[in-house]
Amino acid sequence: MKTPRISPETLLVLERFLERPADWLYGYELSRVTGLKSGTLYPILMRLEKHSLLEACWVATEDGVPPRHTYRLTPNGLELARTKLAEARPRSMVRQPAYCSG
Amino acid sequence: MLEVHIRQAATIFLETAIRIAPPDIRGWGQAMLGEMNYVEGPWAATMWALGGTSVMLKQALVALVIPGRREQEMVLDGGLFGRNASVRNAALVIGGACVLAALLFFVAPPFRQAFQVALEPYQVVSGSIQPGLKTLARQAEARHDSEGVAFCAVRVQDPRESARLAAEAVHLDPNLLWVYAAVAMRNPGLSETGPWVEKLEQWDPQNALFYLIAAESMQQANGHQARWSHLTQEQERAWQNVMAAAFRAPKFDDYFDRVAELNRRVVPRYGFRNPYEVASRDRTDLPLHAFQNSERFAKLLLQSGVDLEAKGDRAGAHEKYWTVGRFGQVLDSQGHTDLEHWMGTTLQAMAYGQLQASADKEGNQDEAALFGYLAAKFDPVKGEHTGFPPQSTFGLETSRRNAAVVEISGLMILVFSGLVAIATWILIVGTRRNAQRSAHRARPVATIVVLTSAVGLLFSSVTLYLTYRPYWYIFQSAIQSGDSVQTADFRYFLFGSQMIPGVSSRLHIALLDALFYSRSPSFLFYVWTGVTLLGVIGLALILLRHFLGRPHAHAP
Repeated sequence: MKTPRISPETLLVLERFLERPADWLYGYELSRVTGLKSGTLYPILMRLEKHSLLEACWVATEDGVPPRHTYRLTPNGLELARTKLAEARPRSMVRQPAYCSG
Repeated sequence: MLEVHIRQAATIFLETAIRIAPPDIRGWGQAMLGEMNYVEGPWAATMWALGGTSVMLKQALVALVIPGRREQEMVLDGGLFGRNASVRNAALVIGGACVLAALLFFVAPPFRQAFQVALEPYQVVSGSIQPGLKTLARQAEARHDSEGVAFCAVRVQDPRESARLAAEAVHLDPNLLWVYAAVAMRNPGLSETGPWVEKLEQWDPQNALFYLIAAESMQQANGHQARWSHLTQEQERAWQNVMAAAFRAPKFDDYFDRVAELNRRVVPRYGFRNPYEVASRDRTDLPLHAFQNSERFAKLLLQSGVDLEAKGDRAGAHEKYWTVGRFGQVLDSQGHTDLEHWMGTTLQAMAYGQLQASADKEGNQDEAALFGYLAAKFDPVKGEHTGFPPQSTFGLETSRRNAAVVEISGLMILVFSGLVAIATWILIVGTRRNAQRSAHRARPVATIVVLTSAVGLLFSSVTLYLTYRPYWYIFQSAIQSGDSVQTADFRYFLFGSQMIPGVSSRLHIALLDALFYSRSPSFLFYVWTGVTLLGVIGLALILLRHFLGRPHAHAP
């Protein structure tokens, strides 16, 4: 299976999905927890969806408010996320992330 | 209330971007739009919308360049701007406004001059060299304007025409005799040089310039290539006599001030604003052959001094050394141009070096230290008093960079204008009832080409104007008040604007040298033509891929 380029931002998104693998997440919710702007977040989601790593569906809302798009990882996506995060962790233990206050 | 308006404006932004985006991406745009209802705060919502807009626009651009990249859900008249006529009209209005704004720049004289400078490398292509100057010469001759004719005489590249105009100018006004010197200095091989020098020596006695011209005239009369080796003993003696007269002359006047004064009078009179031509005399400088002749004669003098010193004639030797030093001082103090100062400092350094050696031999340490200091001070390469390169405010690199920006902006104006014209033609053809199906299909692409090219045209025009504006003021100041403080910057800029952007000066000079000797003046034309052709081929490939590579339409 061809996998997309996994950037640090993509890893951040995958990490959030892995925290609640069965739940459907909204775009704005993902943006808040990852700190990514819409211009960064949505290309990542689009890429994951294109590679069948992410599934998306529309959720109806109250009258007059447009429906919302929700996302969760497919089984392939979950497998890839676990692999990539496992690979990334030892490296992150060696290199202190810039945003780490400790 | 304000919050509502900001949110509404952000929503319109994103909605517009969604319309522009390829159909298969629009769902993602709707997703971002849906989430906007939950974004807290108007500014956060605006930033969210702008982020979404950038994603949509990027996808639109990708779809335009690589149409087969995504499996698009095509509609019959689909693609960018395909469905929404109002968006297409809005795009065309914006494009038209940009083109109009870009055209308005031509009202500003600095912009016209900047455009002229930017297209200078193409001048060679037209086959007519110095067309503006030739027209000016005709006008000046028709008006019997001696100054106008003299202005052209010192600039025209064709030696015969230059000599004819110089004779005409002096005929109209005998006070313009110095024009002979300006023309002969550039073209010492002219048959008129001998008689001219005789007249000039009577008119302005003791000016070293005429002897330098006469010395080179002797060289060229005997073949330019071999320089001195071919001279007979008699010719060598005559050459040395002329050079000795130059070295004895107490004065050096290159008539630079008179040329500057001529500029101030003639340029406004004829509205002649070609900076290359106006500054051409300023850039010409004393020709290199004058430096070669002077350096050779200085070496001969210094060697004869060494011989005299060996025979015990110290006074005679020092007289020879000081002759070289004095001539260097005359050139350095009375010259105006880079090479004149360079010559002056070089000759002084040579003389002081020899005087230092002489003092060392005699054991006069104080004198040796003084001359050693002077030799180092006037060292043309390492010394502090080189007079070269001339002082500038912006610096060589800045002026070169500005020149590259002006060149590229001018080229971009041409390219974008061409694209706007082609796309507009496609749009006009596509609106006809009997237009071919392909012309109809091309309309959305033509719309986006018009819009992006018009924006590019405006951007290039603004860049060209803002970059050239400081040089326009330097030019104006030099013409109107004779202020030459920043002319070094202007010269650097003009020199840079004839170079290829991105190519190092060393490589460029090597290339120019190679091409100069192969007598190919159209070098810059070939380079720019190559660049433009590559751009056009690239665009053609994109369009071909767009039309040939797009999938067939299917019913929804």
